[in-house]
Amino acid sequence: MTAGSHYDLVIIGAGPAGMAAGIEASRGGLRVLILDDQPAPGGQVYRHISQNAVRREAVPYLGGDYWSGQALADAFAASSAELWSESRVWQITGDRQVFLSRHGAAQSVSAGAILIATGAMERPMPVRGWTLPGVMSVGAAQTMLKTAGSGADGAVFAGSGPLFYLTIWQYLQAGFAVRAVIDTAPAKMTLAQYWLALPALLQPGLLLKGLRWRAAIRRKTDYFVQATSVAITGEEQVTGLSFTDAGGKRQTIPAEHLFIHQGVVPNVSLTMASDLAHRWCSRQLCWHPRTDLFGESSVAGIFVAGDGMGIAGAAAAVSSGRLAARRIIARARGIALPMAPVWRLLKWRQAAIRPFLDSLFRPPDEWRVPQDDKAIVCRCEALTKADVAAAIALGVSGPNQLKGYCRAGMGRCQGRMCSLTIQKMIHDHGGQPEDKVGHLRIRPPIRPLTVGELAALANDDANA
Amino acid sequence: MTMPTPRERIIVIGGGIQGCAAACFLAKRGQQVTLIEKDHIGRHASGVNAGGVRRLGRDPCEIPLSLAAMDIWTSLDDEIGGHADAFHPCFYLKVALDEAGHALGLARVDSLRQAGFRHEVWLEDSDIRSRLPHLSGRTFGGILVEGDGWAVPWRIVQGFARAAVRHGATLVEDCRVLDLKRDGEGWQVNSSKGTFAADQVVNCAGAWAAALARRAGEPALPLSPHAPMLAVTDRRPPILPAVMGVLGHTLSLKQLDTGQFVIGGGVRARADLDKNRGEVAIPELASSMRLATTLFADIASTQIIRCWSGIEGYMPDNLPVIGRGRQPGLVHGFGFSAHGFQLGPAVGEALADLVMGRQPRVSLEAFDPRRFESAA
Repeated sequence: MTAGSHYDLVIIGAGPAGMAAGIEASRGGLRVLILDDQPAPGGQVYRHISQNAVRREAVPYLGGDYWSGQALADAFAASSAELWSESRVWQITGDRQVFLSRHGAAQSVSAGAILIATGAMERPMPVRGWTLPGVMSVGAAQTMLKTAGSGADGAVFAGSGPLFYLTIWQYLQAGFAVRAVIDTAPAKMTLAQYWLALPALLQPGLLLKGLRWRAAIRRKTDYFVQATSVAITGEEQVTGLSFTDAGGKRQTIPAEHLFIHQGVVPNVSLTMASDLAHRWCSRQLCWHPRTDLFGESSVAGIFVAGDGMGIAGAAAAVSSGRLAARRIIARARGIALPMAPVWRLLKWRQAAIRPFLDSLFRPPDEWRVPQDDKAIVCRCEALTKADVAAAIALGVSGPNQLKGYCRAGMGRCQGRMCSLTIQKMIHDHGGQPEDKVGHLRIRPPIRPLTVGELAALANDDANA
Repeated sequence: MTMPTPRERIIVIGGGIQGCAAACFLAKRGQQVTLIEKDHIGRHASGVNAGGVRRLGRDPCEIPLSLAAMDIWTSLDDEIGGHADAFHPCFYLKVALDEAGHALGLARVDSLRQAGFRHEVWLEDSDIRSRLPHLSGRTFGGILVEGDGWAVPWRIVQGFARAAVRHGATLVEDCRVLDLKRDGEGWQVNSSKGTFAADQVVNCAGAWAAALARRAGEPALPLSPHAPMLAVTDRRPPILPAVMGVLGHTLSLKQLDTGQFVIGGGVRARADLDKNRGEVAIPELASSMRLATTLFADIASTQIIRCWSGIEGYMPDNLPVIGRGRQPGLVHGFGFSAHGFQLGPAVGEALADLVMGRQPRVSLEAFDPRRFESAA
């Protein structure tokens, strides 16, 4: 196969971490390529920012945090980093070859260093009815708001987490009516949570913002807290939601559009497929790639930055992107990197509120494993909780053996939507710790790749 | 079968198809069998191979074993019950896409005929096209074997393992053999799950088998580990009722009953014995993808949803090692060089014969472990 072009640094993902790293590394004189699967840079958090910036008056509801990304996007556009949009990276190898599909053909580039900045994804929420038409994730609702300014009047929101509250607030600011908001966060804060809240006081702005959102929601919607035993109703289409409220009373809310959310987790598809070491984070209940302070993974020359290394938010993502870039520059130049402790402190400072948020919005067990036997667990193979439980009962040593028993995790999403649920179910059944249960092996290609696109690589070879 | 055989303690090491089949036949014949597997049943090449059940294209000295295996495949229900539906007999077709392939195929069929084998027959392009109307371009003819097909590998391996347990064998998974030494008349096997004593040991440890043989005091065997690689696509309407290959190439192509295509064949990903996995290198599959789209243009738009590999042991002559070791009470069955899946049932039976001092159904001469000693 013909070798593609070579870059000092190839960054995957043009969100805050990727853009910040791209700016920093190109300033440092490196030849930088950023691969991003969206039409324009911004990532999830600053999605569509350059397009929205020119019509800022029309979309005031997106809020100050969103617009704070514009300076970053402008600096990135002005930098010498090369951007390939609509590029789907489907494999990177230990020798730092990056394989991608773009314009309908597969190709490769080689890299001196690789930075994976593929961000976060929403935690799957396998409750009965979550696959019904009319049910969407809160993140998807926010994407529609950012890209098209569109929303659904009279929608119902159920779930919890910072993005949950932000999106509802944006919805209200945009003038959409919200019928009801059902918060599923567990009852009262524990003493431990109050202790965790102390460093959160370093970020009073964020705390106040949260309280402001909550007050607006309480004022403008039917607002329920501490909801449990949530069930989505409907046969062909969602018709509503029932739950037990804080007072122990069963409530039913009709809904045509239901948005659900249980927080975000690192998108580890690429880091896992690339065979990087991961560790189970019991605080965030998800897998994190193992990295050093600079974000370098267990494979030399492959770095991770941003929410993909652990959920810490956009500001911390920018810092981690810059930090990784500085390390890569320093290594390329053969110089020492001073000030590392300062960076570490800054990173911690920017994520000081996290332990508090992680604890406050920790997903309850009923959102990690469905209570209802008929709830779908593996969407691709249409397997219910009962199907998966029956296979687990045969005695499996982990999620990978389970694949052979019932095909869970073998569909086109590669287990993105069921891996965490399956792991928890095996843990609940056998009692071994979740980090020992392990995760589904993710195999490339991790993004869509057609037979024809891959065949094109062989054609290139023949012509070479 | 004339004298009652003494009940011996047999340890089979390796829960791939060879080890599971051997354990099944030994247990069925009343031996006291323990099957030890370092991961879980079918974890490596046996569980994740292309699942081709083919007599087509075998090395001539492998054909008698392959034909014997096919007898067992067609009566699989008798051996493994519940899992036999995982075998899908159809036909296997290896087509020529150019003059060179045409000449290669004709010569092959001719030489097999002279050796007395008639299971491979030559088909002209028109016959091929009437069997496969969705084929995109014309072929230069091809070799057909009626009744060959494919199976869901892990289910077959599971089937043999479960049958072995039904016949009284003990299955120990997640059990890594650390050492193997002679102990009086028998063997002592030290493992991560304790010590096992055996009268005889069957080495079916696949890519790890040469190292195991070495520990048992056997001469070095030239086995090298590789990881054959496969890709599966999303679902499409059925267009391919056969398993296909291309003469002169290593492609293997089939369509499962789910409508998914499985594409692979011969391509070896990097095998990492320490990390216990093969590194998938998708670009290596590009030429197989090109051949698949040459045969069926429609496949080009299907999405590859997963690629995987499994670690397998290869011998320099691409023939397996099946036979008694230098040490007493040690029988080898490994090194199948990525074409041992179909042979599995017959190999299991032959290994059971060797352990019990019976004459195997077919000659195993070509697979003698000692053949490498003279070469060295």
